[in-house]
Order: sequence, then structure tokens, then C-alpha cells
Amino acid sequence: MRPSHLLFIFLLLLTVIDGTLYLHAKRLGSDIKDEQALQEIAVAGLGLTDLAVATEARYTRHPAVSDPMAPFMDHPGAIEHFPTGSFWNAPENTGTR
Amino acid sequence: MAMIPKGLEKQLNILDFSLSSLWRRKLKNLGIMLVFALVIFLLGSFQMLTGALTNSAEAVLENTPEITIQKMSAGRQEAIPLAYIDKLHSIYGIRTIIPRVWGYYFDESNLANFTIMALDSDSMPYGSKLNLALSQGHFPKRTEPGTVVLGRSVQDILGLEDRRIFSLFRPDLSLKSFRVAGLFSRQTDLLTNDLIVMNLDDARDLFAIPASMVTDICVYVANPTEIETIAKKIAVLLPETRVLTKSQIQKTYQVVFSWRSGFASICLLTALVAFAILAWDKASGLSPEEKREIGILKILGWETGDILAVRFWESTLVSALAFIIGCTAAYIHVAFFDASLLKPVMVGWSVIHPSFRLLPSVTLADLLLIFTFSVLPYLGATVIPAWRCSTVPPDSVIR
Repeated sequence: MRPSHLLFIFLLLLTVIDGTLYLHAKRLGSDIKDEQALQEIAVAGLGLTDLAVATEARYTRHPAVSDPMAPFMDHPGAIEHFPTGSFWNAPENTGTR
Repeated sequence: MAMIPKGLEKQLNILDFSLSSLWRRKLKNLGIMLVFALVIFLLGSFQMLTGALTNSAEAVLENTPEITIQKMSAGRQEAIPLAYIDKLHSIYGIRTIIPRVWGYYFDESNLANFTIMALDSDSMPYGSKLNLALSQGHFPKRTEPGTVVLGRSVQDILGLEDRRIFSLFRPDLSLKSFRVAGLFSRQTDLLTNDLIVMNLDDARDLFAIPASMVTDICVYVANPTEIETIAKKIAVLLPETRVLTKSQIQKTYQVVFSWRSGFASICLLTALVAFAILAWDKASGLSPEEKREIGILKILGWETGDILAVRFWESTLVSALAFIIGCTAAYIHVAFFDASLLKPVMVGWSVIHPSFRLLPSVTLADLLLIFTFSVLPYLGATVIPAWRCSTVPPDSVIR
């Protein structure tokens, strides 16, 4: 068998895997849409503003409504010391205090 | 083979030659491909995870409060007097004003931070439908003091199981008892995982907040196109407050997970440095063995174009396969393994971990970005030295 044939078989295998993942994404997408309908009710009914992803610091639990100064509260050079702070960018609360 | 056009047949032969050539140095080439795929996997996982969170936030925060008013003092948020509501009544166009008490309760025995939320949900949009977001029980009415609805992780961490009564400490360390009236459903975990929802009076009692104060005030307006105008009027009327509009809250999640955040910058810089080293190594010249191979091929009658084609195929195969494998692995990592390698950084020291059920975000723009950072520099770095070498006389290379 020519080496290029082996390559084509490998590429075919990758295509099949990625095709399956595409179908998985489609199904997951429709499942998540159903979940989002319930999440929208919770957001509207409780006036929620943020995702409950990180609960260690208030500026990563509620980045949308926390103090703009919170990440710098220890001293001016300290951006933050919670690990999640490295993952989350500071929100641009332009026009707000 | 007779059916294959001559040009294609030639390329197939060159491809065969390239594959054999790659296979001859399989340890080195597989090593490069693996490292390459790993870097792409890291970049891809980050982008797919943060994209998924951004998309989820965008989809579900559509109904977030239209205007949120917080009182600021010395750069920090503090309780806002209920009397401010009377002042707001003078602004025309406001439909509903809802005071809220919310905050964080640190459970010292489990080191977990809960979010306490208290408001009159009957006045909120979809307030009457909130029971749909529960997996069991019901939402407590105003006439049911001392009852709460719990997020799933709160129930787990408190170890309640079938028990319905639990207590939390007031600031003076006296205990306040609560009865569980309902439990949020698994489907709303992304928002309600750490929540304890209760009545306003109970929250005031728990946090020792005076009856005349609340944490913030939500305002809903009659005409949604007037949100910004009314927000500006509120900011003028109550200068000591911070007025957040729905669009600002929604915009937050467009920027919090971006390439500018620390972790992402490190990922990106690592990738760039890795590729810079790789490109420098490749571009600094071919090994004498590789040069001799090119010389022999030229003596055998290969043209410069053919040698470049071999090099092009070799680098395309290594980088494109690494790209496909890296991106596929990144999708599997985020979709099937809850992005378990990134999650520790994402949740940090949080004791409450939400179970992510996210649709990895795969967009053409992200794939092109990763492609541009990875495949293109590698192609450039391997083809250019080969071109420089293949243009010199073959006899000088072989000697």
C-alpha cells in the first residue's frame, strides 16, 4: 500500500471522528437550548446578573455588579491573589463608578 | 493509475516521497507534531471553553434587570436606603422598582461561599414561573418566613440529604434556622448552583441589615428603548450611586473571557514563544544531512520546484495534522471532560464547583486565529530554508 493511501485512510478516520463530534454538537446544542429556557426564567425571576462559575471572590462570582475597585483592594500593586482572577479579564464598566 | 491526471500523479508521488521522508525521521517528526498539537489543544480548549461561557451568558442574561442601582462609598458598594425609591418615583417612565438584599455567606466549616438572594419575586418578570426552575418543592411565598430555595451544591455541601431544616450564623454568631422549601433544578446549575433564595426580612435578619436598607435596587422601565435615558436621569438624581444598565451587564461577559486576561495571555505567549523557537531553529538552516539529500535529489534531476513541493508537503502534513488533532482533542476535552484541565484555574479556590454542561464554541474566526498562529509560521519556517538551500549548486552541498 502506498504511503499516501495510509494517509488518506487516517484523514478519513479523522473526518469520521470530527463528523461524529459535529453531530454531537448539534444534539448538545438543542439540549442546551431547552436548559437555557429554564435559565432565562431564573434570571428574570431573580434578577440574576452573573454566571455561578467561580465562587471564591466577589469580582469573579459577580463581575458585572461587583466593586470596580475590588481586584485592587489589598494595595495598589496587587491586582488580586485569587487564582480565578488570572482567568477573568476586568469588565469595562465605562461610564460607571 | 492510468486514470489519474499526470499533474496529480506527480503530486501523489511527491506526497509518497514526503511521507517516506517523514517516516525516516519519525521520532523527531512525531515529537514536533505532538508538541504542536498540545499547544493547539491548549489554545483551542481555552477558546472553546470561554466562547461557550460567553455564548451561555449572552443567551441567558437577556432578561437581567434593566437598571441596577448600587450605592457607592469610598469606592465600595454599600447598603442603599429604601428612601431612595421615593426619589425614583419622580422619574417618568419607570414601571417597577424592586429592592433586593443579596450578599455572600461564608460557611466556615466547609470553606464554601454561598450567594444569598432575597427579593419579592412575585413582582419580578417571570416571577410566577420560577417554580419551573425547581427540581422539587416550591418557591416560598411572602407569607412563608424562614423558608428558602437552595442551589444543588448548597444542599450537597450542607449535607442536608433528606433533612429540611438547617441553620446559618448571624454576624453576632447567633443561629437562624431555615426550612428548605425547594431545590433548584440541575438545568439551572450554571446560574443557581451556589444560591440560597429567601425572603427580604429573613435576609435582613441574617445579615443584620436595618429594615430601612437594601443591597441594591432593580428598576424596570415601561419602554425598553428608554433604558439608557432613564439610567442617566437616575445617575443625575442620585449622584452617589452607580447605575448599571442591562446592556452594560451583558457586555461584561463579552470581555471577561478574552485574550487580554492573564491566563489567556500566558497561553498565547507560550504558544508564540514555542513557535518562535521552532521557527528560529528551522530557519537558522538545514542540517548537513538534509542539505546533502537536497543536493542528491538535484543531481538526480529534481527541479527546485519539486524539492520545495516535498518540503511544503512535509510541513503541511505535520502542521495540519497537528492542527486537526489539537482542535479535535480540545473539543473532546471541553465537551466530554468538562474542560477538566482548565477548570482548576477557572474556579480557583472555590469550594462550590458547577458541573459545566457547555457547548464548545467552534467558530471560523477562532480556528483561523489558531491556524495563523501555528500552521502558517511553521510552513514559512520550513519552506524558506529549503528554498535557500535548493537554489545553491548541488555539487557544493554534497562535497
